[in-house]
Amino acid sequence: MSTAAPSSSIARDLRLLGVAFAYELRKVTAWRAGFVVRELMRSLWRPLVMIFVYRAILVTPEARFGGFDFPALVAYLILAASFEKLLFHQRGLDLADQIFQGYVTKYLTMPVRFFVLALGRFAQHLAVQSSVVAFLWVVGSLLFPQWWPRVASASAALQAFVLVLLGSYCAFLMCFLVNVLAFWLEVVWTLSAMASFVFSFAAGVLVPVSAMPQSLAGALRWMFPYWAVSAPGELFLGRLGTQEFLRGVCVLLAWVVALELLRQLLWRRGLRRHIGAGV
Amino acid sequence: MDRAVSTGHNRAVSEVLIEMRGAGKRFRTWKRREGFGGFFVNLFAREWTEVAALEGIELEIRRGEFLGLIGANGAGKTTLLKCVSGITPVSSGSARMFGCDSFALRDEHKRRLSMVMGQRSQLWWDLPAIDSFRLLREIYSVPRSDFELRLRESAERLQVTDMLQRQLRNLSLGERMKMEIIGAFLHEPDVVFLDEPTIGLDLVSRETIRRYLVEINRARGVTIVLTSHDMEDIEETCRRLVILRQGRVLFDGGLVDLKARTYERRAIEVHLEPSSPGWDAAFEPLLEPFGARLERAAPLTLLFSVPAPAVQRFVPFLFERFAIRDLSIEHHPLDMIIRQIFQQREGGA
Repeated sequence: MSTAAPSSSIARDLRLLGVAFAYELRKVTAWRAGFVVRELMRSLWRPLVMIFVYRAILVTPEARFGGFDFPALVAYLILAASFEKLLFHQRGLDLADQIFQGYVTKYLTMPVRFFVLALGRFAQHLAVQSSVVAFLWVVGSLLFPQWWPRVASASAALQAFVLVLLGSYCAFLMCFLVNVLAFWLEVVWTLSAMASFVFSFAAGVLVPVSAMPQSLAGALRWMFPYWAVSAPGELFLGRLGTQEFLRGVCVLLAWVVALELLRQLLWRRGLRRHIGAGV
Repeated sequence: MDRAVSTGHNRAVSEVLIEMRGAGKRFRTWKRREGFGGFFVNLFAREWTEVAALEGIELEIRRGEFLGLIGANGAGKTTLLKCVSGITPVSSGSARMFGCDSFALRDEHKRRLSMVMGQRSQLWWDLPAIDSFRLLREIYSVPRSDFELRLRESAERLQVTDMLQRQLRNLSLGERMKMEIIGAFLHEPDVVFLDEPTIGLDLVSRETIRRYLVEINRARGVTIVLTSHDMEDIEETCRRLVILRQGRVLFDGGLVDLKARTYERRAIEVHLEPSSPGWDAAFEPLLEPFGARLERAAPLTLLFSVPAPAVQRFVPFLFERFAIRDLSIEHHPLDMIIRQIFQQREGGA
């Protein structure tokens, strides 16, 4: 869209990203009840349910599930829930609605790249959810110190965080792609719900990937959800090492490149179809 | 196409900002067959058809013009705005703005235009308008001091200064539209497209918005293209009128010229007593000697178009035929003039 010199264009995009971030932050905090339900309580219930499910399965202290005893599973579920909160989620982007209702056309008359505004939403999500997770960790570790996960080392925590950040960006691109399908399909929310379920499973939110059958776990290790939730969890607990971290970075970067290219392609084609159809 | 000579301001010297030459827009759509059987046929064999939304549009809009774009639903008004503003490309001919192909506008061109769609808010529902304005300030790179000044002035003129900090959802429809209009003018655009900005608004809000638009058009020389179904909007703001019908320009000229054509006729509106006989088709031949036409007939209201010299004879005729409660004689209202243009074209077709 812009034909200005690349440096000034990037500087402008960064400035706009900052303002869009602040704008999105105000949007998400505009409604206190909405904030508590959507941002604070979202993804808390599933790990709670899973803890009760595993309690029912692992009745005796010696019982194991895929190499995890019950306290290790609780620690893993807490970590998985925390990391999942940091991942961008389908409801975080209302692009499909904007496409259906024709609002997206207004951006075509503005000197702006729409994706920069969407990135503002992603930055807001990370900032808000990082604060929420930090808050929940302080409260949780004070209330349940015996169950709370203990980090293997500072570098393990850092490595886990890097993977989660990259994974969250992949999730954001994925959400954008699913939303962009609204240019062609009317069933985006169904697809979105399906994608969300598959993502949770592949990420190991319900069951640790290392506890799954080997062939399935092997396949999931090529997918970005695994490196966004399950692998960081195991890194944090010291069950995976630096070599695995490096592999994870490579896999996630490859996904970022592939998803970004696909995003650009679908956005351009979708927009062409949208305007061709008379908006 | 009817092209009258425009009056009101110096169009000869002002720069052409928008230009359409033989512009057409066609959409491809498929027919949905009826019934259960049709549903299955639709799955495997779609029947595609082409719909012409615009055809052979010749239009030139200069700096500082206030142009009213009118036509029935589906006449192509919004499509024309979209083609001109670069949202959608034309299928044939050309559409240019600021000397460039409208569909290839650069950022520096986009900073010079603005669009308000009456039914598509660009401000966020859960936030005060001021927050959305700050985002727009960044999008259009408006210097902070200019932004503050323009915001203050516009808010005062539109009487919404106290509402800038309120959540948009808590504002009335009129207040929200005023906010949309403030947002559209914050970056001092050269061209503003307003698509039915007064739809659903009360009289006072409509009047305030019209006054604001006229002032800003005169003071800053902003080119404004307004679509509306409300003829009062058009009459009180626009100097030039373009009438669209089935994707074609039916009339393009000055509002004054349009009205001058019908100065020789008067509109007589008659309100009947409940006991009065109503209109009957048998009365139709009786109108011919006066050169009068029935424009509208409701159970207790009749509207006639009568040549000015015949008014003196026609009014006693009405009193003879009907029990009249009230009667008014006026110049033709704009909607009647436009209806006549449509009828003339239909008759000529």
